[in-house]
Order: sequence, then structure tokens, then C-alpha cells
Amino acid sequence: MDTLIRMQEDLERALEKPPEKRRWAMLLDVRKCVGCHACTVACASENKLPPGQVYRPVFEYERGQYPAVTRTFLPRPCMQCDKPPCVKPCPVPKGQATRKEKRGASAGLVVIDYAECIGCGQCVDACPYGARAVDEGRNHSDGTPAPQPYEVAASFEYGRKRQRNAKADPVGKARKCHFCVHRLQEGMLPQCISSCIGRAGYFGDESDPKSLIAEVKKASKVQVLKARKGTAPRVYYVASEKLEVIYG
Amino acid sequence: MAKKNGTSRRDFLKTGAIGCGALAISQLDFARGILARAEAGELTAKELYELAQVENQLFTVCLNCNTGCGIKVKILDGVAAKIDGSPYSPWTLTPHLPMSEPLSRAAKVDGAICPKGQAGHQGAYDPYRIRKVLKRAGKRGEGKWQSIPFDQAIGEIVNGGKLFAQVPGEETREVAGLKALYALKDPKAFADMGADVAALRKKKMTVAEFKAKHAAHLDKLIDPDHPDFGPRNNQFVYMWGRKKGGRSDFSKRFYEAFGTANFHGHTTVCQGSLYFACKAMSEQYVGDTFKDGQKFYWQADLENSEYVVFVGSNLFDANYGPPNRTPRITQRLVDGKLKIAVLDPRFSKLASRAPGSWIPVKPGTDAAFAMGMTRWILENQRFDAKFLANANKAAAAADKESTWSNGAWLVKLGKDGTPGGFLRASEIGLKAKEVRKDKEGKEYDFEWLVVLKDGKPVAFDPNDEKEAVEGDLFVDAELPADKAGSIRVKSGLQLMKEAALEKTIAGYADLCGIEAKVIEEVAREFTSHGKKAAVDMHRGPAQHTNGFYNISALMSLNLLVGNFDWTGGMIAASTWNTDGSKTEKQPFPLKKLSPKVGKAFGLSIIRHDAKYEESTLFEAARYPAKRNWWPLSSDVYEEILPSIADAYPYPAKALFSYMAAPTYALPAGHTNIEALTDLERLPLYFASDITIGVTSMYADYLFPDLHYLERWEFHGSHPNMPVKVQPVRQPVIASPNEVVKVFGEEQPISYETVWLALAEKLGLPGFGKDGFGPGQDFCRPDDLYVRMVANIAFDGKEPVADAGAEDLRVFQASRRHLPKNVFDQGRWEKICGAAWAKVVTVLSRGGRFDTQEAAYKGDHVANKYGKLINLYQEKTAKAKDAFTGKPYFGAARYVPVVDTLGREPTALAEGFDLHLITQRDVRMTKSRTITHSYLTSSLPENAILVNGADARRLGLKTGSKVKVVSATNPEGVYDLKNGVKKPMVGVVQVTETIRPGIVTFTVGHGHWATGAADVTIDGKVVRGDPRRASGIHANAAMWIDPHLKNTCFIDKVGGSVSFYDTRVRLVPA
Repeated sequence: MDTLIRMQEDLERALEKPPEKRRWAMLLDVRKCVGCHACTVACASENKLPPGQVYRPVFEYERGQYPAVTRTFLPRPCMQCDKPPCVKPCPVPKGQATRKEKRGASAGLVVIDYAECIGCGQCVDACPYGARAVDEGRNHSDGTPAPQPYEVAASFEYGRKRQRNAKADPVGKARKCHFCVHRLQEGMLPQCISSCIGRAGYFGDESDPKSLIAEVKKASKVQVLKARKGTAPRVYYVASEKLEVIYG
Repeated sequence: MAKKNGTSRRDFLKTGAIGCGALAISQLDFARGILARAEAGELTAKELYELAQVENQLFTVCLNCNTGCGIKVKILDGVAAKIDGSPYSPWTLTPHLPMSEPLSRAAKVDGAICPKGQAGHQGAYDPYRIRKVLKRAGKRGEGKWQSIPFDQAIGEIVNGGKLFAQVPGEETREVAGLKALYALKDPKAFADMGADVAALRKKKMTVAEFKAKHAAHLDKLIDPDHPDFGPRNNQFVYMWGRKKGGRSDFSKRFYEAFGTANFHGHTTVCQGSLYFACKAMSEQYVGDTFKDGQKFYWQADLENSEYVVFVGSNLFDANYGPPNRTPRITQRLVDGKLKIAVLDPRFSKLASRAPGSWIPVKPGTDAAFAMGMTRWILENQRFDAKFLANANKAAAAADKESTWSNGAWLVKLGKDGTPGGFLRASEIGLKAKEVRKDKEGKEYDFEWLVVLKDGKPVAFDPNDEKEAVEGDLFVDAELPADKAGSIRVKSGLQLMKEAALEKTIAGYADLCGIEAKVIEEVAREFTSHGKKAAVDMHRGPAQHTNGFYNISALMSLNLLVGNFDWTGGMIAASTWNTDGSKTEKQPFPLKKLSPKVGKAFGLSIIRHDAKYEESTLFEAARYPAKRNWWPLSSDVYEEILPSIADAYPYPAKALFSYMAAPTYALPAGHTNIEALTDLERLPLYFASDITIGVTSMYADYLFPDLHYLERWEFHGSHPNMPVKVQPVRQPVIASPNEVVKVFGEEQPISYETVWLALAEKLGLPGFGKDGFGPGQDFCRPDDLYVRMVANIAFDGKEPVADAGAEDLRVFQASRRHLPKNVFDQGRWEKICGAAWAKVVTVLSRGGRFDTQEAAYKGDHVANKYGKLINLYQEKTAKAKDAFTGKPYFGAARYVPVVDTLGREPTALAEGFDLHLITQRDVRMTKSRTITHSYLTSSLPENAILVNGADARRLGLKTGSKVKVVSATNPEGVYDLKNGVKKPMVGVVQVTETIRPGIVTFTVGHGHWATGAADVTIDGKVVRGDPRRASGIHANAAMWIDPHLKNTCFIDKVGGSVSFYDTRVRLVPA
């Protein structure tokens, strides 16, 4: 069975549980990441990201000297930290603009409420992973003869249908990866997982011991990025190299 | 016209030839639709993620490279909003969903495709697409255009005349139209003259005799003194870049009716020598000669292999292709179930995923590595002797083998010891020639072949299924001839061994720039996994002047272990048939539905399938020939335009190019610009493209084509795919192109529309009303394609299942945004008749795909090659080098990189310290992905990769700007003509991931058209997008052959262009 099918079955099972009983997590086995950047582009297309904005970059590293050289491809989504440094500096009263969500399909994820966000960029500066950026309202067709219809076709972030418009959300607001919660609630995997040609990505409810992600996590030695920052990320990595040395 | 989900056709027509304005209207309509539905309370929570709804999805096939991944296009209000992998396609899920899975399940499952596929809709919604016919309003390539009515363009191309009188300098230039070239029409005259040209070639008729016999038709020949040039019809040349089934059937119908011998693809710019070496290896012994070789190749069955040697096989960035091959190996590499070796001067992504696998051989030395392995395997008895002893089908079957080789067959040697053809049993009086009958009762001569068995000659029939014959493997003997004297013979394997012994393993290793023990270790490992080991190769070894022999040497290693058709070994592609020639049940046998037309004869302008020595040009010119002749290869892309420029063997009058970008894609591509701007040698040039492209910018007339999301094709398969398939590309969105009438039928201008309109104007048989026979019209693209889908549905033992009620409902609902000139259910149903419900099944799944389970049978693949594979190539040995007159060697061998006259290019290399190669990045496909902003955002420009040691020596750092210069391009520019030169300047990236002395760049950037440059249309300037001009394209630095003078270095045997043989210098810029 393709791991994509297996994980989708896991996902359907997880959705039957009450939100507080499941724990969304992502595991990236960088030994299988082939640096194709499909996740980066799939995410940009799915979430209608303007040029320059990337939720899910894949960083490339090269180490060593010819011919004893290694390459590492490191995908970096939002870590959906359990101790998110980005939430605290939000100046919007009661922390409404960005928060660790407790309800619904996005329970456990760090979300941005575009309606509340004022685009001040404080959360952007606070994220140690550089996972956030303010949407500057650019379009892919800028500087060309005409805007294109796919650019204004709707996106569905956070389960809300929005057409791209210079004067409407999310333009001017902080944006970041949300594990494609709009897909999760439909029983579909995040775009970066479903577009992974190396099958390096795992996603699911890690509290379900029968889920593939729980199995892989248990069987592997996992790492997290910037462990010393104490952010408690929900994105785990499996790698032959020490990612701390490469990324921090 | 009624508005349908957005923009009406008329809205589009209001705009200019390149889109402005109309989209603003479409946005408004779109927004209004949403608002209305929201106000009506129609947007329920469950419906919100409309992309996942079954009525908003259509399944088709990607074309952002040639892999052909099945895609699921998610459509919002008529707009392709998102693309993912189709779960029905074995390219995007392993295993894929069977076709029996309902659409509702598939709607929620996205398969994985590469970034180019993900970005695909940006190619459809490209602000620089052309929508109307453009006619040149300035010099060729000057960027000045006038939009004209479609019918006017067709009329001018057919009728000719002073077509460019408004362009300064061309006031009096008279252009011959296609009507004048459609000279010979009588099928009988075609047949008679064609037969006599064949006689002329075999010296059974003289030119004088030919002229006397065909006096009535001599005026229709290009040159009566050279009847082998054929009729004037041959002066219409058609060439194409990427074209798949369906569109190829469309054009075939035209050029066959027109009667030209000039229809040439682009194979040799990809990996021609891989195709043509495998064609030579797949030639079959029929009667007394070799024929029916397939233009194809084999690849490894990766999901079952235990050990694979990848040679120039850039698996995770290119090849066919990343989404299907990658998931079949990443986990197995991690688990240690698959071991690999990667031969590549670059530490590719593939090598990087398997520590210890990298073997950084020097470019062009692949055959040296292979022959070193061959030598070790033969000397250490590590080959499959049982497999190699089998001389025929019956012997193979007895060993549960489905393929067999000719390694044991006896080859005759010439007086000087040169190996020639196989020994026929009649030549030693062993068994006489006999007359046999084929399936249709036609008589033919059959000659027995010979092996030695325990030292005694045994006659055999290679295709015999009953009497098994095995032979001795290594034979060097003298046999008494039938009449008198004796014949010296050697077995194929003996010849292979002698070729392998030409150098020591240390000598081979030295050529590769590696240690001898590496060759031995790989050879040992390769022969330690039984049939589950493979040598998998792609364009790396093929695109050199020695490509044919690199491939022959590498592929022959697979014969030494006899791994063909075995799980984990080498496998071949398998597809469902489209033309109705496979089974009785297929409803539309297209060949039978064609009128009788004359069979084209005469030389093609690229001189393929022809021997120089048999031509009327030979006696006067002798050796070396002016240009190459290609008895073993076809679709020799680099020959087309330079041959037109040289008028060799004859002048061309008109050229049509489709999806072709030779100026960009070919090494020394600028030489093609020289040819395209030569009004005398190329009087008329028209092109089909979706933008003003890097080559089509030189056209006289430019016809807008459809994007791949708007059109049909049958993509076929690739040799790494064990599942039997036929992916169907079909229109999933409307086209923005101008709608015109051809044969009375409305259709957006497309590639097909051009052919149809030309056929209508010329009055070609087999088109228009009753084109497929009484009551079966051929007036629009779908008239052909829907019939082909029906054929797919009915191929095989069992046809596909009928679509159920839900499938039929979804079929219609999901196409609600398509205009009638694209999709008309009534029209399609009428064409299909009883086949309709099966056609719906195929179309609603984006093709026909067998199940994963059906792909294997025990330890073999189910879809077998199942034939002879040549270790020794008789046909190759009987062909001669047109420059030296020497016969080609017919087996694996290491030969060095040379120019056409056989000289090693030491003089050209002198003073140029770096060896230039190129590579693919998974985010770019040559000339067509620069228009995709998701991709250019991720990879804004490419770089020139330089090893750290070279960088230090040259004082270069990452970010340094350098110009690429070579002996044949000392200025370091792409000369675009009209006074425009694009410097080949790029940014250096210092890296340890490349062998010192080698430099490379990824192909896809450095454009000068396709929206990168300003153009003037109808007097208005359309500004280019600088993002599209970024980066470097250094193909013009690649060497020009010193004898040909207007063409890159070539592989004379297999046709490939040389991409990886040039030496350059990097000059700070």
C-alpha cells in the first residue's frame, strides 16, 4: 500500500476522535527527501501564495570536500510549536490574531486569524524558524500584460473560501503553514505530504499508536530543529546527519 | 454567444493577439458568481472545499515534461485552480487505485507529482500566450508582427505569392505555396516511381532509364537528374519537438496524403543514441535479413531490483520520471534492500541518497567503464552462460527465459578480419535456403543461421518455438565453404570479448579517471544478484559523439546476466492500442478508414533510412560526404535546419514546426538561427506554438496552439513502467484562442486546426466530410480522438467496464464549463455509438490503466519484450561511415569522442581548461517552464557549477559573473541575428559536488523569447518579463563540427547530438 493511502486511512480514523484527544504531527525523513521542491510549489498553488512567499521551503546544504561530499535537503514547514514564540508578541488584545488553537480540526495547531491580524509583523520577527511572513499583496502576473484567472481563483485556508484581492485578507496579514487544516477536515493529507514524490513526509495523529507516523516515530531516532530554543515543535525529523549542526 | 461560467468567447476576441483586458471581465464574472451563490446560501460548510468535489475534477495527463504523469485538475468556475496527481495513474501512487474505484474515492486521494506538474496551469494562464494568427511584419526574428485572420494565413501559405511585399527588401520575393509543392498526386505514379527509385539505389536501373520510363512525370520531380530526391512534395518539411500519440496520428494522416518524405521528430536532442542503439539491438531476423527494430529502450524494474548501476541517469531531477521512479526506491535504499552505483561526473541527488554510490567518471567514458566490466565478467566467468548459449526461442523457453541473444551465432569475417554479417547455413552447404509463406500466404526466402555446438556446425531458425538450439559461446574457427575455400567465423561473444580485451581494466579505469578496483567491484556486485541486477542508463552516456557505442556497451552488460523481462531486471513499456489495429473488437481500425494515397518516396532532407553509397550523389562526391547519412537512425533533429541551409541533398521550400525549439534546445543552437533567417534557402516558415517562442519567433506565420490542459493526446508509457497503460490527455479547460470555422465546424485555433484547414484548402483525401468513410466525418480534432479512445477501451482480452449512472452524471457535470466547440456530448456519443459507456470510463479516469497485480507473473513481468536481443548487430556492421567509407563496428566497444572525420578534438580543446556538461533541475524543462512563476520563484536563475579547486585556481567565488567561451564561440554570445547578441554570462556557484575540471548549468533559463523580450504586435509594444530572461543558457558555446561547419558535434551512428564533449573557458564578465 502506498504510504499516502495508509496515512489517509489514519487521518479518517483520527477525525472520528474528539479534537482534544488527537495530536497532529508531522515527521520528515530527510533520508528520503530528494530535493524536488514539489511540496514548496504544491503548497504555493494550494494556498495561493504570492511570489516570494513560501510556507514550506526546502533548504539545500552541501558539506565536505570532493569526492567525500554529502547533500542534505531539509523541508521546513511551520513547526506548530507547543510553546510557540510567535504567539506572545501579538499586540492584538487577548491574542486573538494568532494562537494555539484548541478547537475543531485545527486543535493543536498554531493558527492566524486573518480578520484579527493587523499585519504588524511582530510574530514574523519572533519565529526562530522564519516560518512567517506578511503577504505584501504581490501577484505572479505583476509586470506582465494581464492578470490571470488562476490568481483570483479561491483559496480555502482555514476552511474559508477567499478570492485573492489586493484589498482583502490575507493581503497585508501575517501568513504561514497551517498543515492545510482545510484539507484535514475533509479527510485529506496536507499538500506537502500528498505531493511528496520521495514519500519522505509523514502526517497524522501521533497519539494513535496504530498510525503510520506513530510507528515510524517509535522505530526511528527523531530530531527536532532548534531544540535548544525550547519551542517543543510538532515536526520531527529522521536524518543520518545531525540537523543541529546543519540548521541549528 | 451565451456566457458560461466566466468569459465568453467573444470577450476574448475583443482583445488583441496577446491577452489584455479580457481577464478583468472574467474576474468580475467569477466574483459575481460566488457572491450570488453565497447570498443564496448555497455555500454549505461541507461544500466549502470545492476542490475536493467530484464535479470539479477532471483527469488528464501532464506535459510539463515527457514523463506523462496522470493528473487531476481541480476546476473552480471554469478555471483550472489546482493540479495534483491522479490516483488512477501508476505514475503518482504505488500501487495506484484500480479503475474500478469510484470517482468519489479518487476525488479525495491526491497522487504525488513533481513541481512542474504542480505549476502546470501557469502555462495555460500565461499573459504572453498568443490567441490569433501572427504574420511577420518585419525581418525574420525582428519581433514585429501583425495579427491576421486565420483563413488569410491558410490561403497565403497554400497559394504563395509576394507574401511579404510590405517588408523592406522583400518587395519582389515570390514565395511558393504548398499548392505548388503538392505536385504529384496520382497514387499509381507514386508507387511506380517509388519502386524504380528503389531499383536505382540497387543499381538495377540507370537514371537515363528512369527518365525515359517516367517522362510524363519528370516535371513533378525535384531534380530529374536525381530521381532519388523524389517529387517536389518532399520540399515541404515538417518538424516537431514534443509530440505524442494522437497528434502524431493527426499529422501522419496529412503528410501521408500530401506525399512528403520529410516529417522529422526531435529524438536525437533527447537521447537518440539510446533509442537507436536499442533499435539496433532489437532488430529481428526475418527471412534472411534483419528488420522491425523498435525505436525504444529498456529500463530497470526498480521496485524489484537489488542492485542497479545508474549511468548518466538523473533519476530525481529528470529521466521518465521523478514521480514514478522515486517512490519505488527511496524506502528500499533506506532499508538497504536496494544497492546502487551512480556513474556521473556530478554528485547528483540520486547519488546523494545512497552514500558510497558515487563514481565520478569523466564525461564520454561510459563505454570504457562498461567494457572494463565486460572484460572482468568474461574473464571471471561471471556471465549467465545458460542464457547466452540459447540461440533461439525454443532454447530460451526451455530455460524459462522469454528473451535470447545472438551471442553464440557465428559471424563471418572479411579477408582483413573485419566482422560482417552472420553466416548463413547455405554458405557452408549445411542447409539450403528455403521458401516459406507468411501469415498472409506471401512467399519469402528463409536462410538458416549457424552456431557451433561442441565444435560442430548446427543450422537453426532463431524464431523456432519447437526445436531448441544452443551454441558454443566462444568460437574462432575456419569452416569449409559450400563451393570452395573456407570461411573464417567468430561467435558474437567472441567478438565482444576481443573488443573488451582491447584495453586492460586499468586502461579503461584510466580513461574514466577512476581506480581499476572500482570497475571490478561494480562488476562483482552486478553479477552477484542473479537477474535482479540492472544497468539503467539515460541521456548521460547517449549524448556524446560515441553515444551509440556507450549505449551498446552498457546495454550489453544486461545481456551478460540475461535479466530482460525478469522482475528486478530490464523491462519494456506496454500500452493499450489506439489505432484499432490490435483486436477485432476495436471499433475504429484507422488504417482501414484511410483512403488510398500515394506512398512518399525519395530521400528525406536528413537522409535517414538511406545509404550514401546507393544515392545518385555518391559517384561524383565520394568520401567524405558533405553531411552525414543515417541508415540506422531517424528523427535527427540537428540535421533538419542545417541540411535546409546547405540545400543538401536538395533545396526545401516550406517548413512547418510544431512545439519545436531547436535554436534553444540543440547544442550550438545558434546555427539553427542562421538557417531560419536564410530567406533563400528557407523561403516559407510557419509554426505552431503557444507563445512567440525562442524558435517560432523566426516564423513567417505563427499559429496559436492549445495548452496541454486544453487538448488531446495519448501519452503512452516509458520502459520503467511495468503496468500496461494508455494515459489520455483531454481538454479540461476552455481555450482562449480565436474560434474559427474549418470544414464548417467551429473550433479554437490549434495545431489540429492548422492541418485540417490546410487539408481543406488543398483538397487532400481523407479529411472533411466522410473523411473516415461514408457517414464518418473528419472535420474537427475530436472526430479522430474520440474514436481513438474507443479503440483503447476495446483493446485487450476484455474491454473496460461500462460507466455506471453516477460516472455518466459526473462525466457531464464535470465538463459543464467546456464550450460546445470543445466538448459536445451528443456529438461524441454519435461517433461512439455502442462504445459510449466504455469511452466514458476511460475519459473519466484520464486513460486506461491495468492493475498493479496484473503487471507481474511470478518472477517475470507480465508484459514481456519476449524476443531476440542482439549482442552482435548485423545491420550496423553492414552500414558504412559516410565520411570514411569504413563499415561500422556491430557490437559493444569503447571508442573515443571524435568529430565527423574521426579526429579527436585536441585542437579545439587547446587553451580551454574546463569540460562543459549540462543537467536538468526538476523545476525546469528546457524551453517551456520559464513561463511558470511558481517555478521561477523557487529557482529564479540557474548558475554555472564549478568545483572548489577550479574556482580557487581561477579566482572565482560563488556569485562571480563569468562568460562562457569556446573555440567555436570565442565571443561567448548567442547570436540571435538582426544585430542582437545575448552574452552567455552567468553566475558561478562553487561546489564540491562536481568532478574537478567539469562545469555544468541547469537547462531552462537564459531565454530570449517566450515572453522574455519586447515584441510589437499591430504596432503596439508588448513588454517582456525580465524574470524570463534571467540566468544563463550556454548551448551556443558547444562545439561546431569543423567539417559540417553549421552543426554541433554529432554521433554519426546513433544520431545523438553532443552535449557533453565541449571544452570551455570561464572569462570574468
